[in-house]
Amino acid sequence: MKRDWINIALAAFVVLFFVFMLAPILIVVLVSFTSAGYVSFPIPGWSTKWFARIFEYQPFIDAMIVSIQIAIGATVLSCLIGIPASLYLARSRSAWANAVMTFLLSPLSMPMIVIGFASLFFLSWLGVGISFTALLITHTVVCLPYIVRTVAGVYAGIPRSYEEAAAILGANTLLTFWHVTLPLIRPGIMAGSLFSFLTSFDNLPISYFFGSADTNTLPVVMLSYLENQFDPTIAALSTLQLLLAVVALLIVDRVYGIDKMTVAG
Amino acid sequence: MKRRHFLGGSAMVGAGLMAGGLPRLANAQSKEITVTAFGGVWEEAVRTCFVAPFEAKTKAKANVSLGGPPQWLAQVEANQAKPPVDVLIMTPDLALSAAKADLVDTFTVDKLPNLAKIPQELTDSVMGKGTLFDYGVGGITFHKERVSNPPKSFAEFVDRVASGELVASVPSISYAVTPIMLIWAMAKALGGGVENVDPFFKAMEKMKDNLVYWGGPNDFFNHLSSGEADVGIYFDGRTWNHYDSGATWIDFINPEEGGSLNGVAVQKPKNADPLAWDYINEILDAQNQTKFADIMNYGVTNTDVVYSEKLKPRITPWQKTAFPPYEQIAEVRNEWVDRWNREIGR
Repeated sequence: MKRDWINIALAAFVVLFFVFMLAPILIVVLVSFTSAGYVSFPIPGWSTKWFARIFEYQPFIDAMIVSIQIAIGATVLSCLIGIPASLYLARSRSAWANAVMTFLLSPLSMPMIVIGFASLFFLSWLGVGISFTALLITHTVVCLPYIVRTVAGVYAGIPRSYEEAAAILGANTLLTFWHVTLPLIRPGIMAGSLFSFLTSFDNLPISYFFGSADTNTLPVVMLSYLENQFDPTIAALSTLQLLLAVVALLIVDRVYGIDKMTVAG
Repeated sequence: MKRRHFLGGSAMVGAGLMAGGLPRLANAQSKEITVTAFGGVWEEAVRTCFVAPFEAKTKAKANVSLGGPPQWLAQVEANQAKPPVDVLIMTPDLALSAAKADLVDTFTVDKLPNLAKIPQELTDSVMGKGTLFDYGVGGITFHKERVSNPPKSFAEFVDRVASGELVASVPSISYAVTPIMLIWAMAKALGGGVENVDPFFKAMEKMKDNLVYWGGPNDFFNHLSSGEADVGIYFDGRTWNHYDSGATWIDFINPEEGGSLNGVAVQKPKNADPLAWDYINEILDAQNQTKFADIMNYGVTNTDVVYSEKLKPRITPWQKTAFPPYEQIAEVRNEWVDRWNREIGR
C-alpha cells in the first residue's frame, strides 16, 4: 500500500515536472499563432501571418544562413582538430597531455561573454578583425571542448587490444583507424557534433561581438529585433527553430539512433 | 608521418587555435560604408529614411549592421585604425564614453551642413563629438480602461502607488537607461538631482509593496496587458507603437515635472570612411527626419521638421522634457547602481 502511494507521488512529480518544463514553451508556440499585433495570452484569434513575417524580414534569412554556415563550419573544424587531438591525448602518458587536455576543455568553464570580448580584441590585434573567419575561429574555440570531451571519453573506454589485434592481423594505421577505431568512437563524434552544432547555432555572447552587416547570426538579429519591435515574430521564429530541432532529432534517431549517442555521455 | 605524430600535431593545432594563432587576414577595401541600426522597424526606417537618399545622392552603398551600441563601441575600440563601422548609433552615456576616449570625430557645420539645424544643446550634450537626432521621453504610461484618472506628475504617481491605489511597473536596474529615466528623473521631480538622489530612494521605499519591475520593454507591456500593473514608467514612442499595433487601451502622459529626454546619438568613428559624413548629413536632414519620426513615433531634432497631424499630439517637444546631465550622471552611475542593489535589490 505504501509502495503504491510512493509510485503515485513519483508519477505526479514527473507529470508536474514536465508541465513546468513544457508549459512556457507551449505558450510561446500558441502566441506565435496569434492574430493580435502584439504578444498576449490568451490569444484573441488564430493567424499564421507572423510566420510569413519571418520570411519577409530579410535580416532573419541572411542571419539564419550565416548561423547555419558557422555552426556547420565550427563543427567540422572542431572534428578535424578535436578527434585526432582526443585520440592522442586519451592514450598519452606524457606529463603535458593532461595540461593540454585541460586547456582544450577550458572554454567550458569560462563565461562566454569573456571569451567573446577577449577574442574580439585579440583577433582584431592579429588583423582578422570583424569577419566570418573571426566568427568561425571563435565558435570553433567554444565547440572544440564538446568534441574533445565526448570522443576522448569514449576512446579511453575502448581496450587497446582491439587496435592491437587489427595491427597483428596486418592492418596498417589508416586501415585500423577506419575499420576499428572510427566505428568505435562514432557515438562520441555524433554526440559531440550535435552539442557542438547546437552550441554554435544558439550562441549569442560571442556572436554579439563579431556581428557585422555580413556576419550577424540569428540570435544577434533576434535580440536586436526583440528590443525594438513588439510583434509576435520572435515567437513564430522560436516555434520554427523548435520544429527544426525536433525534425533534426527525429532524423538523427532514424538514421543513427539517439540511444547510441547517449552512451557517449 | 607516424600516426602518433599526426595526432600529437593535431592536439597542438587545437591548442594553437585556442590561442587564436591564425595568420593575419587583410580586410577588403571598397566604395561602401557600414552604418548601424537597431533591429525590426528601426532598421526598416533607417533603410527607407537615411540609406536610400544617401545611396541615391552618392551612388555609394551603405551596408546596415544590426546590433546594439555596446557591441559597436567595443568593435570600434578594438579596431581603431580601421573601424568596422563608419557610423555609430549610440545611447548618450556610451556616446560620451566614445568622445572621452577620443574614438570619434568632432561634428562641424563644414562637414555636416544640416548640423546648423540641430539645437546646439543636443550637440553639446555629447561634447560636440556627435549629436542627438532622435529622442524618446520617459514618462507615465497607463492602461486607460483601468485607470481613468492617471497621475499627472511624478509626485502624484509616487503618492498613489504608495497608497496602494495603483500598481506600477518600473524599469529594473538591469535596463541600461534606468539611471536616467527613473533614478535621475524621479529624484529631480521630487526635489533632488544628480547630487542628491535620496528623494528617489525614499519614494521607492514608500512604493515598494506596489511595484513590479520590467527588465525589457516587452516585460512592461506584458505587465500592463496581463493586469499585473496599472501604470508605469515607460517611453512615449514605444507606447504609441503598441497603440498602433492594436493595443488601443494604452496611453502616455509627459509628467508635469517633465519626463527625461532619452536621446539617440549619431557619431563617426575616427578613421572611418569620409563618406560617413554624407550619410550623417542625411540623418540630420529635416525631410528624412520627418519620415523617420512618422515611422518610429519618436521625436526628432532638426528644427525644420513639421510633424504630421497624427504625430503632433504624440510628440513632446524636447524643451518640455527634463534634459539629463548625461556626463554628470555617467560619473555617479556606478554609485547609484550599487545603492539600488543594496536598498532595492531588483
